[in-house]
Amino acid sequence: MKTDTTPFFVGYFKVPKKLRKFLLSAGILLVACLTVFGLLIGSTQDDPGNGAFRFDYGRQTVTGVIENLPYPLLHVTEGNDRIKAGETLMLAAGGKMGVMARTSGFSGQQIVASGVLLERGDLNMLQLRGGRQGLRMAEGDGTEMIWEPPVSEPLGRWRIAGEICDGKCLAGAMRPGRGLAHKACANLCLIGDIPPVFVSSQPIEGTEYLMVVDKDGGPLPKAAYDYVAQFISLEGEIERHGDILVLKMDADTIEVLP
Amino acid sequence: MSVKYIPVQWNNNKYYYDAFMLAGVVGFLWFFLHVSPEVLSHERPINPQVHNARAFGACAFLMLSIILAIGPLARLDRRFMALLYNRRHFGVMTACVAMTHAGYILNWYWAFSSSNKYEALLFSNTSFGQFAGFPFEIFGIVALICLLVLAATSHDFWLRFLGAPLWKRVHYLIYIAYISVVAHVSLGILQDQQNHVFTAIFLVSAIVVAGLHVLAVLHERKAGDPAGAVNTEGWVTVCKPDDIVEARARIAVLPNGDRVAVFRLEGKLSAISNACSHQNGPLGEGKVIRCLVTCPWHGYQYRLTDGQSPAPFTEKIPTYRLAIQDGVIMVDPDANPPGTYVEPVEIPS
Ligand code: FES
Repeated sequence: MKTDTTPFFVGYFKVPKKLRKFLLSAGILLVACLTVFGLLIGSTQDDPGNGAFRFDYGRQTVTGVIENLPYPLLHVTEGNDRIKAGETLMLAAGGKMGVMARTSGFSGQQIVASGVLLERGDLNMLQLRGGRQGLRMAEGDGTEMIWEPPVSEPLGRWRIAGEICDGKCLAGAMRPGRGLAHKACANLCLIGDIPPVFVSSQPIEGTEYLMVVDKDGGPLPKAAYDYVAQFISLEGEIERHGDILVLKMDADTIEVLP
Repeated sequence: MSVKYIPVQWNNNKYYYDAFMLAGVVGFLWFFLHVSPEVLSHERPINPQVHNARAFGACAFLMLSIILAIGPLARLDRRFMALLYNRRHFGVMTACVAMTHAGYILNWYWAFSSSNKYEALLFSNTSFGQFAGFPFEIFGIVALICLLVLAATSHDFWLRFLGAPLWKRVHYLIYIAYISVVAHVSLGILQDQQNHVFTAIFLVSAIVVAGLHVLAVLHERKAGDPAGAVNTEGWVTVCKPDDIVEARARIAVLPNGDRVAVFRLEGKLSAISNACSHQNGPLGEGKVIRCLVTCPWHGYQYRLTDGQSPAPFTEKIPTYRLAIQDGVIMVDPDANPPGTYVEPVEIPS
């Protein structure tokens, strides 16, 4: 009669001797593999870019003039140590909210803006404090507050390649703040009127960041949302407003690039 | 095999199993979260929420891959059967890790807006018609729901409540979960990486899981249980008595698709259903220990003569009548009701 030599495991009994070594090796292999994979995957994460909230600069308060495009730009007229007069800032509120509604009554007016700076290369954005503490009319007798926006300089029609992002995450509110895994978050920011920014794969007039508006000057067209975070090329008129380039995108010309 | 509700029936083997599993998970997370940032030369670190989410997400994927590899491995090499025992703890742990991943993601990407984060999760990206930019989060949600259902119903209470066949069918959700995770990762983070180390580990893991399943199927086809020939009275041929090893069984497939396990013990033969009443485990691959057939999956035990678990347990499985004709074991394919006594048949010397 045949006899049985295969070890038989029963959970509530002691492990048979013959199986012990095998199971111990399997357990050690499991722990070793998971640990090595943890190190391997963890240490090969992509660089999230150098954007950041600059809390280390402290609160920034500057005077400037609002230009609503419709996303607001702040042309700084009286700066401080960090932000110089003549610089142009994009604006946002806390969280995933823009400030279009708050700035709409201030077009061409001299205002005092206060908040924390977000910085990524030459992309600067000021996250305003809430209410009047973040945005108020500059004091004065009223006459000096009428301001001519700097003449926008048209730079012609371009076809450029790159990615539509939300300007705030990109500028450092999130790291990483761009790319396809971040698309839903970017959409949500854009729905909240955070200024969209096109990151060009080639610098244009010295910058890779362009604020995006619709070809007729309205906010980001609905058709653009499907292409947010994708590598695309598109056409549009580019204008310089202060030291920021603004792309009037033509949604009909979008092409997805491989 | 419990007579009253006990959350977990702990024993030393379960402690060892869980200790290795926890050591693996902690090792993965610790090295990912605390050792690797030292290696990365980023000017500014990845946000902790995203870093944590990635660590827990990758960990959940690997855990799920390991869980799914155990089944086919056990079919290919019986020694792995020991890892099937307590696998549900692995599953519950995986659901917890996956849930943590989802929590970090949800409370980061969908927080800070004026919308409710759960609603925002559903409306923020609706580009369903495209590959790049597809709302891959949806696959993550499907996988997470599956894992939570599996974890919630993993206790034997649910097994009894739903009955083994339905419970097993529900637990095939693990495959939907895995396929969803593969889609979630493929359309998500894999579309958004410059460094492809994770891509390689992901692909190899998924291919190993799929490959092991294919190998196990091929192995079953080659070495699977034979369908017994039927004689004129409708009884089914199993094998010769000497083909059966002492305290072990041979399995035969009956014309109706059920399996019978014929055991040999101290010169006598008995036939019982091959399906364990717990989770349909293959009793015929079990062993007789102290006169009781012991299931190889979780150790439920049955008497050979009547298919009943010894008191105080109450489980019962069907028995079969058998006979030896011309030196060959024949089984009546009509099963007796569970718990029916059948006198063991002596093997003629
Ligand atoms: S299937 Fe669980 S003990 Fe048999």
